[in-house]
Amino acid sequence: MKKQVTHVILLLITFSFLNANASSDFDKAMLKAKKNLKTAMNKSDETQLLKVRGEFERILQLKEKVWLVNYYIALSDYGLATAAMVKENTDNLKKYTQSGIDVINKSIDEYPEFADSFVLLQALHFNRWQYEQEKMQEIIAATTSADESAVKLEKNNPRLLMLNGMASYYTPEAFGGGAAVALPKLEKAVDVFKTRKETSELYPDWGYDLAMGYLAMALLKRNDDGDMKKAKEIIDEAIVINPDSGFITAYVMGEYKKSTGSK
Amino acid sequence: MTPNKNKMIKSIKLFLLMLISSGIFAQDSSVTVTKISGFVKGDKDSVLRGANLVIEGSIDGATTDDKGYYEFETERTGPQSLLITMIDYSKKTFPLDIISGINIELNIKLSKEVVTEEIIITASSFTSGNTNAVTLTPLEIVRIPGADADLYRAITTFPGSNQVNEGSRITVRGGDPNEVLTILDQASLYNPFIFDETFNVSSYSTINPWGLRGINFTSGGFSAKYGNVLSAVLDLKSYDMPQGTGMFAWLGLANASLDGVYLSKKRDFGATFSLGKLFLQPYFAVNGEHSEYSPIPQSNQLGGTLSQKIGSTGNLKFIANYSDDKVGIQSSTPSYIGYFNGSSKSFFTNMKLMVAPSSSTLLNTGISFSYYNKKDNFGVLNTNSKSYYSKGRADFTKNISSKIDLNAGAEYEYNGYDINGAIPVYSYNLKPGAPSTLLDTNTNSGRIGAYAEGQFRVGKKFFFIPGIRTDYFTLANKASFDPRFAFGYQFTKYNALRGAAGIYHQIPKLEYFFRAEGNDLKPEQAIHYILGYEFNKDGNYIFRVEGYYKDYANLVILNTTDLFYRSEGEGFAKGIDVFLKTKIKNKFTGWISYAYCNSQRKQYDAVSLTPSNYDITNAVSIVGSYNISSEFVAGASYKLSTGKPYTPVLSSSYNQSEDLYIPVYGENNSSRFPTYDRLDMNLQYIFALFGKFAVAVISVNNVLNQKNVYNYTYNFDYTQQVEIISNNQRSLYLGLGLQL
Repeated sequence: MKKQVTHVILLLITFSFLNANASSDFDKAMLKAKKNLKTAMNKSDETQLLKVRGEFERILQLKEKVWLVNYYIALSDYGLATAAMVKENTDNLKKYTQSGIDVINKSIDEYPEFADSFVLLQALHFNRWQYEQEKMQEIIAATTSADESAVKLEKNNPRLLMLNGMASYYTPEAFGGGAAVALPKLEKAVDVFKTRKETSELYPDWGYDLAMGYLAMALLKRNDDGDMKKAKEIIDEAIVINPDSGFITAYVMGEYKKSTGSK
Repeated sequence: MTPNKNKMIKSIKLFLLMLISSGIFAQDSSVTVTKISGFVKGDKDSVLRGANLVIEGSIDGATTDDKGYYEFETERTGPQSLLITMIDYSKKTFPLDIISGINIELNIKLSKEVVTEEIIITASSFTSGNTNAVTLTPLEIVRIPGADADLYRAITTFPGSNQVNEGSRITVRGGDPNEVLTILDQASLYNPFIFDETFNVSSYSTINPWGLRGINFTSGGFSAKYGNVLSAVLDLKSYDMPQGTGMFAWLGLANASLDGVYLSKKRDFGATFSLGKLFLQPYFAVNGEHSEYSPIPQSNQLGGTLSQKIGSTGNLKFIANYSDDKVGIQSSTPSYIGYFNGSSKSFFTNMKLMVAPSSSTLLNTGISFSYYNKKDNFGVLNTNSKSYYSKGRADFTKNISSKIDLNAGAEYEYNGYDINGAIPVYSYNLKPGAPSTLLDTNTNSGRIGAYAEGQFRVGKKFFFIPGIRTDYFTLANKASFDPRFAFGYQFTKYNALRGAAGIYHQIPKLEYFFRAEGNDLKPEQAIHYILGYEFNKDGNYIFRVEGYYKDYANLVILNTTDLFYRSEGEGFAKGIDVFLKTKIKNKFTGWISYAYCNSQRKQYDAVSLTPSNYDITNAVSIVGSYNISSEFVAGASYKLSTGKPYTPVLSSSYNQSEDLYIPVYGENNSSRFPTYDRLDMNLQYIFALFGKFAVAVISVNNVLNQKNVYNYTYNFDYTQQVEIISNNQRSLYLGLGLQL
């Protein structure tokens, strides 16, 4: 009897070891793809983003944390949509935005407790302003709904705070937005990012440099006394956080140079 | 060594053996890999970048590069399955038999994913959706000056369709208003209006354009899926599920509304509601009353939907809408002056179930019921009519391949009509106490219909849609067979030809069966022939010109000998529609429509071919909306059209027994109203209120204060013709909407 029990225990240990190994395959693949996604998003490179999207699609085959893999597929779509927006390619902007919305909804259907999924959903719906303004009411309802869900789950999610800051930054002052309204929101996002530690390294951790970039741009736009200097400090800090960020090194730095007239 | 130690060693050995056999510790450096490579291409060998390939159950795979090339290595051997996916393309699996070390070259072709509800733009179609063929969006509907955010009024800015009495009822290419069918999620909507057919009060639609995800208006040559309609179809599709949660409130000078949408956290349940009330006191205080009212026009609306997702692709949706209206308006006729009192109640409900048994098949089923009660009272006229409609319908779509779709469906529709009260024996004598016919009667009819059609695409440039439908009308005991055909040919990137031809039938209104011998009325028939050309540059510049000819038969006509209705009428309509639209992104949207129409019918009281009741020879509509800034949008809309025909009174004779003059009418529709002319303007201001999205609207309708004629009446002996001016004179409207 004792012998049988010992064998059962050994078998259980074996299977848990096997399982751990499978998880390790999953973790390894996810971490690699996540790193590639960061590189691709830094460069806003469509080819790389398509490749990394494919990586995540293949990870779906491991059938682990499918909701999380779908989150990253949707995030890749968001990156692809952003790249299309920069190139003013409306067909691709629509295609990737719609795909991202479909995929993140699948992720939410499976695991509706992840605030970041709702943040991404909200960001994707914001893209729709670019090509279907006629669905104004629908977009407002969709973004409001996603925002409320994210707030309920994690009101201090830094990406949520950042997105709200970004939305205010792009909203004209007449509509209740503008740099001055965006600044405290972006400052709060940056503060939260500073101390944020994700509970799993598989979880999304993007956005710190982006929040700093928008904070710097909001300061440039407000242009009160000392804002230029503070914006430069923030840009320098952001470069330390993510030296490869094309958004910071090219776009935000470019805006700074334009504002100060420096070369 | 003790026995226990011995056992322990045995167990550890067993454990190690299991680990080794499971391959965890396997360190075989001589494993042979197999390289799998090739190209993934789309239709016509187009390069597909970003296609993903993976061996199912593993993460071995690759993504195609700029040349559509892929390459990856795998250690897997034996029978495997290669999965290929790409956004907008149907996924594909490919069986592989991998022999270790023997490389595989595999070229794969993917087909575009077929959207089962894709609308192929056929002749005479105006659609809304996510394509460059978009010709009208909900935002444009609410911004068209003078359209008062009403879908039907917006449609009349397109060529070929005209408003009836400046209201929401529309007539198309010279046809009668009841020859236009509105379908919402498969259900027929017969009375989506308030103040319908009410003396000198414009009707309004009860359809909220924001709740629609698809609008397809076809002014002729429409598909075999639409039965029992002669002139035009407005096919509306609502959202299966709300897109979020929120509320929108509106307060205007004449109306207020509150709309709400709810989407559950799991996104599998949704609900909407809509409340609306019309109150004209403030509006009249600002603009003045152009008629005497008692009571002044009033209306209430209440509606809502419930949606439940079923499985991964199914959806169940329930819609219910209620509306009522009431008005009393001073009216003058040669025989009687008094208040025309009208009121109506309308209820509509529909249950729709959508399921997709597979990725290439779609089944939509629906059951609907509607009720419409109308009461009219003017002098001796005093009627209370009730119409009942119910319908069950199933539509099946099967995607056979990327080139062929098959649609088929069947429906049963019940139509009941009750009327009681009194109607004047002589239309010219409306005095209270005048000779009248007392009514208390009802009738009903059923219709069974079925259709099948195929959508065939030949390459990317040509499509054709042959179809056939049949309907059996139980009351008349008659069947109809309608073959239909449509085609489209895009001969260059921006240029296309479209055409359609087909037979269409519609059973006469049930009222006519009250005076039809043995219910022997045939379905009225029209044969449509349409040919058109379109230039469309990415939806930013659209130019269309279309010619049509319609041949009518079996129209209802009154036999002047026995006073029975018979199906012996005939007629034709021919014309040209021209449409030009231009859009400058985020700045300007505008279009010009012109329609020429010659519609003649021998129908109702006509004894020969004469202009039909809505034969508008020339009609021009110009609409423009300009974004002054991101906050302000200004719009203007101008309409100019030939006056509609009417039958004049030529003389009269005195009748001593009735103590009134009896009119002597001229030839049917032998005179016309003066030219119709109206300019409307509006200004929208979008801003934030209490941190929420808000929109304010100021609009001026009939800016030039044209005195357009609603109708003619006469003095007591018909020696003087008196114009009844439309109540739609210059008016100011203010409104404020707020997202809650």
